Amino acid sequence: MTRRKFALLSGAAAVGAYASIKLQKPPEAPKLGVGPAGKSAVAIIRVKSYSDDLVCGMLEGIRQCGLNIRGKRILLKPNLVEFDPATVINTNAAVIAAAVEVFERLGAAEVRIGEGPGHRRDTLDMADDARYRATIPRFESVFTDLNRDDVSPVKGFAGEREFYFPNSVLGADLIVSLAKMKTHHWAGATLSMKNFFGVVPGSVYGWPKNKLHYYGIPESIVALNRQFGSKSFAIVDGVVGMEGNGPIQGTPKPVGVLVMGSDLVAVDSTCCRVMGINPEKISYLRMASDLGHLRPERIEQRGETIASVQTNFALIDDYKDLRLV
Amino acid sequence: MGEVYLESRLEFLRANQNPDGGWSYFPGKGSWLEPTTYAMLALHGRGDDPALDRAWKLVRSWQLRDGSFRPSGEVQDGTWVTALAVTLASIRGVHDSSVRAAVDYLLQVVGAEHNVYTRVGSFFHLIKANLDVSHEGWPWRAGNASWIEPTAHTLIALRKVGGGYRSAEVERRVQDGEQLILSRRCTDGGWNYGTPNMLYVDLPSFPETTGLALLGLDGVANPAIGPALDVARQFRRETKSSLGRAWLQIALRCHGREVAMPAETAYTSHDVMLAALEALGHPEGNYKLFTGERL
Repeated sequence: MTRRKFALLSGAAAVGAYASIKLQKPPEAPKLGVGPAGKSAVAIIRVKSYSDDLVCGMLEGIRQCGLNIRGKRILLKPNLVEFDPATVINTNAAVIAAAVEVFERLGAAEVRIGEGPGHRRDTLDMADDARYRATIPRFESVFTDLNRDDVSPVKGFAGEREFYFPNSVLGADLIVSLAKMKTHHWAGATLSMKNFFGVVPGSVYGWPKNKLHYYGIPESIVALNRQFGSKSFAIVDGVVGMEGNGPIQGTPKPVGVLVMGSDLVAVDSTCCRVMGINPEKISYLRMASDLGHLRPERIEQRGETIASVQTNFALIDDYKDLRLV
Repeated sequence: MGEVYLESRLEFLRANQNPDGGWSYFPGKGSWLEPTTYAMLALHGRGDDPALDRAWKLVRSWQLRDGSFRPSGEVQDGTWVTALAVTLASIRGVHDSSVRAAVDYLLQVVGAEHNVYTRVGSFFHLIKANLDVSHEGWPWRAGNASWIEPTAHTLIALRKVGGGYRSAEVERRVQDGEQLILSRRCTDGGWNYGTPNMLYVDLPSFPETTGLALLGLDGVANPAIGPALDVARQFRRETKSSLGRAWLQIALRCHGREVAMPAETAYTSHDVMLAALEALGHPEGNYKLFTGERL
């Protein structure tokens, strides 16, 4: 049994695979939907390093995507996973600081940052370790630990009569997924859509957020994006990504890009192509094909072309067949 | 000794009790059972009885008909925090039918991996991990898998129950829960959230879960405990996690290990739960409330 088949059988993550094994036939790959009408704009902005002018790059990307920010309450949602400042597990602090400045400059009514890590509870010290407090002005006053925020119920999510989400997430007019460009040993790639796992509150669902494993990882990714995708924007930190055995034990992969857009399916599909991964083979992207566009002909690529920045990310053996040819 | 450290944390807790009697994770937010429990334990026996009585009244109002407790007023489902409520009840000397209902609830809940399919799958090596799924343990929420933290808290709670609630089933579940924690020990000697190995790759342990696992193993005689305490001491010296350090201080003291005095620093964080745990882990703190009589 391959690792992927096992993942399909178990519908589980590395943190909970043994716990939620379902001894049943793996589901067939979902059919690719037509997607919404029209095309989606995705901007690829070249940024060589974190000391480059990230603010200028983000402003350009947002302009190219036609995003209106004025008067909106913004929640920036980085990907904060683990204590490990030496690697590229977490969204870089410079990207978050630049996003705060950009959204404030563009007239947001409020810009806050929120994250709820999946298997470590000490969010604030992890943020410290990732240099968030040192890099982001007024960090303490704008940051919310989504694992321990107050919550409100949403009806019918993930098969539950009521599912609870942080008030900071529910109250935001726009959630900006500040994801990291990484491979993922269960999902294939973790990008702006998978980043929404961090909005599920640990105070209700635990560490790890085992309810999502039981519901199924791809199913949960899609459900979260069905819930919040319409009020979301993505800025994927691909300045330095992670290849190989991501999302934690992989190795740094410099790409030198920010990938941005309002259609998170299109953003993640574009990221996959940049990484040398076929997005149509990523289960959750196929399942989300009614929410956004996977096919290149339905994505209006702005800024850099994919070909000009494309660099194959190393894939673990069980994911070799994801390679874009 | 340690006046500034301890008193600043206790004062922070006193100053941030919510009007409904509970404590929130951060000041200005709604009350939750978890920080309320730790704040109540930290302030126990320190002349705060009226405040603690109000808190206890709030906690009791969160009990559901099935005996479980809700984690906050907003959330309508019972969760692992039921164990915290049982611990509080024991410490307050409450032994009534509602506590019995909570204990019965805890005894009904098992980790979902302890089912026939998973055990058969494990037997035939369909689960690509070196994991013992023969123990029941406790999940964060009924219907999910068992994990170290909820299992440790339930063991603490069940060791403390009195008033005739102790039974052969309580004894069996406690012993089985202890075995689950021992079986989930990482190869580096500590514990993570509960998955020491995945795809036959060993995963590292974390400070906070190592501290909690050791509390779950309070009073257990096993050759693994000594080396695990050494790992805990090393974690405590090196970790960047305040939460991890706080749980390790409590666990090491409960296991009778000497722990260096914390620096005489006033509390500057806004984290209510951390303030309570740091106060509990102080040499003059109430860390012993996490220990329980052996069954």
